[in-house]
Amino acid sequence: MVTRVADASVSSGARWRAPSREARDTLFMVALIGWTIAPHLFHLPLWVAGMAGVVLAWRGWLAWRQAPLPGRGTVLALLGVAAVLTFTAEKTLVSKDAGVTLLVVLMALKTLELRARRDALVVFFLGFLMVLTTFLYSQSFLTAVGTGLSVWGWLTALTLAHIPAGRPTIRQAAGLAGRAALIGTPVMVALFLLFPRIGPLWPSANSATRTGLSDHLQLGSVADLASDDSIAMRVKFDGRAPEQARLYFRGPVLIDTDGHEWRAQSAFDGRSRRAIGLRGGGVEVVGRTISYDLTLEPTELTWLPLLELTPPSDAAADATHGVQVLDGTELRPLPDLDLQWRTRRPISERVRLHATAGLDDHLVGATPDDLQQNLRLPPNFFPRTRAWSRQWLLDHPPPAHAEAADNPDPVVQGLYRYIGSAGFIYTLSPGAYEGDPVDEFWLDRKVGFCEHFATSFVVVLRAMGIPARLVTGYQGTDAQPEDGWYVVRQSNAHAWVEYWNPARGWVRADPTAAVAPDRVEQGRAIRPAQGFVGSAINSLSPGMVDRLRVWRETLDNRWQEWVLGYNRNSQFDLLRKVGISTPDTDDLGRLLTIVISAAGIFGAAAAWWDAHRRTPGQRQTRRLANALRALQAHGVQVAAHESPGVVGTALRRRFGVVAEELACRLDAMERLRYGPPGTAMAADWAGVRAGARDLVAKLGR
Amino acid sequence: MTARPSIFDARGRWRAWWDARRQPRESQTLTQRNIYIVPSRAGLAFCVTLLLLLVVSINYQLSLGFALTFLLAGSAAASMQMTHGSLRGLTLHLKPLVPAFDGEAAVLEMVVTNPGRSRMGVGFGLDLGARPIPLAYAEIAAEGQSAVHLSWLAPGRGLHGLPLVRVESRYPFGLFRAWTIWRPAGRQWVYPRPESPTPPWPLAQAAQGDDKPAARSGTGTEFEGVRAYRRGDTLRQVVWKKAARTGEMISRETAGAVQRELRLHWSQAQGLEPEARLSRLAAWVVAADAAGHDWGLSLPGVELAPANGTPHRHAALQALARW
Repeated sequence: MVTRVADASVSSGARWRAPSREARDTLFMVALIGWTIAPHLFHLPLWVAGMAGVVLAWRGWLAWRQAPLPGRGTVLALLGVAAVLTFTAEKTLVSKDAGVTLLVVLMALKTLELRARRDALVVFFLGFLMVLTTFLYSQSFLTAVGTGLSVWGWLTALTLAHIPAGRPTIRQAAGLAGRAALIGTPVMVALFLLFPRIGPLWPSANSATRTGLSDHLQLGSVADLASDDSIAMRVKFDGRAPEQARLYFRGPVLIDTDGHEWRAQSAFDGRSRRAIGLRGGGVEVVGRTISYDLTLEPTELTWLPLLELTPPSDAAADATHGVQVLDGTELRPLPDLDLQWRTRRPISERVRLHATAGLDDHLVGATPDDLQQNLRLPPNFFPRTRAWSRQWLLDHPPPAHAEAADNPDPVVQGLYRYIGSAGFIYTLSPGAYEGDPVDEFWLDRKVGFCEHFATSFVVVLRAMGIPARLVTGYQGTDAQPEDGWYVVRQSNAHAWVEYWNPARGWVRADPTAAVAPDRVEQGRAIRPAQGFVGSAINSLSPGMVDRLRVWRETLDNRWQEWVLGYNRNSQFDLLRKVGISTPDTDDLGRLLTIVISAAGIFGAAAAWWDAHRRTPGQRQTRRLANALRALQAHGVQVAAHESPGVVGTALRRRFGVVAEELACRLDAMERLRYGPPGTAMAADWAGVRAGARDLVAKLGR
Repeated sequence: MTARPSIFDARGRWRAWWDARRQPRESQTLTQRNIYIVPSRAGLAFCVTLLLLLVVSINYQLSLGFALTFLLAGSAAASMQMTHGSLRGLTLHLKPLVPAFDGEAAVLEMVVTNPGRSRMGVGFGLDLGARPIPLAYAEIAAEGQSAVHLSWLAPGRGLHGLPLVRVESRYPFGLFRAWTIWRPAGRQWVYPRPESPTPPWPLAQAAQGDDKPAARSGTGTEFEGVRAYRRGDTLRQVVWKKAARTGEMISRETAGAVQRELRLHWSQAQGLEPEARLSRLAAWVVAADAAGHDWGLSLPGVELAPANGTPHRHAALQALARW
């Protein structure tokens, strides 16, 4: 089969030979793959970046030289090497990181195997998958822009692959792909707004992917958090913001330890303070209360870190207390025995709530079991710290021959003084603790951060017979609000201590304050040293870095609110706005069906209209025939190949002078269409029609 | 033409609809009525990819993942429109068919009229039984006409119906395959393959004529004078330069072109298979026509009086093809 169609001649410069179309398309694809996998190279092992880079460069070079591709054996061998390397690094092939690693390698290697169109399609679809995996790590505005370009590129590559003839420029293909994407955008918006957002289909093991609070503590894990400047939550206070030193956000309470690790209760056990019959819900209200709004970023945990103390909403206790969840109501948070606010499901969406806290409130009342549990230390652990505690109690006996546990406050004050004077150093990088970290920290090295201070403090207090426990959460906020919201960062993560005072209930103690008062008093987040660029910018214009950051975070906040935070509640809000008073998922489905059907009908109508398009010549013939319809009675027919001028000449010949006026008008139409450009003249079909009627009248006379 | 089936006669209506689709037509304008579109295999794979993206987005609650999935879904829907649109509105028109000799490609020349913007990646093919139908791709220029030539090998001499023409497009993303099938109205003549090299003239004939016509065949261009064009003069005889100047058709008169008379007879190609005989006769017809003789042809049951010119040549070759 042969098709003879004018072939676009390939212009070749004298110096620089333009690559063949195939080579050009391959180079475009190689560059596109590079762009798509680039965001991954920051968090994947170095060998992945190296391997992908080398393979892509090799493929590009082969395309440029139009050299044959390597055999299948080479590719399989490389894939095997990659799998082994991944397995040794990640210890698995099915985790998220391992999956992404393999995907990157697979994609690079697949370029070495582009033989048939099917291979190319595999690469295209891998490309889309690759774009999606970028979102597992970041969904920022910048990521969205970068991946938007990727998607455009992939659609362009797909288009190029389906224009088999000629040599379309990449710009042309990009225009076409962009057009398809633009036409598809309304569909995307409709689906984005209305496609029912449901929870995860099956539990994913992705809690490890997000840094933040954790339901367990092993010395060292907060050091990872400390370097994370991302936003954990935002708080807005009704009225004046309290001092930083009083802002403690209560997260997981860690009571049980096996000596290495401190663990929180894994799920809400249903026991609330009120349920076990503590008076006033087990909270003693002291002083004034403060209301606040809080938006919490997804944590994948079942804790709501609320301001201490946010007691349960309880009409009997105090009407002003309570938590009102605005976004994420299905989480139905409830306070447990230790006043941890627990949710039914891991928090995988942004939560927005309004609550009221009493900054001076206490937890009062405890069951004997409860207290017993808070005294438990695993046998055979911390032997030197225990010995030290007993000795310290002998050296500093409590007044009036009382037991330390009866009035622990002086003991705690004494321990504060000890910490302040015994040469403890607060640092973010204490180095690795091997052996028994508590013994080693408390007695030998004395360098550490809040976790080390808090755990050792709990161990010391328990060894002295004082019930005590570890509380983790956030402490402090950024000094300046953005839009009235105070930002709490992951670097504000903190650990402190609660001990039992029989007279007052559970009392907060923060040993870190004794060694690094700044950390607590100013709520100063643990901030790593500025990078080179940051310091350079700051030296040019002091405060510039902070202003830029505020600006960027405001943008991020809006992005969060409108795009990333768009969830089921926002969908229902939208439905309420369009007049559905009690929206549910079915309404979403119905509305979506209506919108998609409307789009379908619109598309069909556009197609119908498009199918009835005419060439300019066909249009002219039709208009001419319509205008001269009056003359049909006199046997004048316009054939498809006749132009107005030709028809005019025929009329002159046939009817003579009477037709002169109409013929002149037809000549004018002829000049308009075929004459030299620049003759400013409007088409005058009405005039032609009038002329035809005149002629009919004259002929009829 | 049967009577229009009643509304309730579903089967009859189906038949009528189906038959209407199978009528050979001289030209076909592609509209929603005759363009078919289904997802291609790549489209189904794309569907699976979209599902995968959706599940990952749901499980990791990725807002941007949803956005990506839906953007791709929207683009795919738009691409369906574009795929359909790359055929929609085109008019296929068959140009007069040129007879072919057996063994040589028959060319089907089409004019494609495009009233809209330029169409890329439109594939043309003939349904000759091979699956998938091999396609040749072309770009159809905007608001104008393009010529497309499709060649095919007809199955032996004779008068053949034309194969179905298939016009297909997967542009832009290859997720959908739109196609139309056109049964062009027309019959393709395939003449017997002329024996090659041209065999010597039949002996009986050589004795009858003054000269060996084979030797004469080269002299057809040697002209003795001109005369007004007569129907049947070959195009080579026309003095085009003069025709262009004056608008009158003038023919060269070649030496003895009208004097010699040649009779080609079935029996002259004796001792051969029937097909080989036809081949030989075809070769003689072509040679005789080129030489400008008046010649006649007798086959059992067919008698052509001596004459010359293109219509005569075609009549003779058609007689051979049909025999």
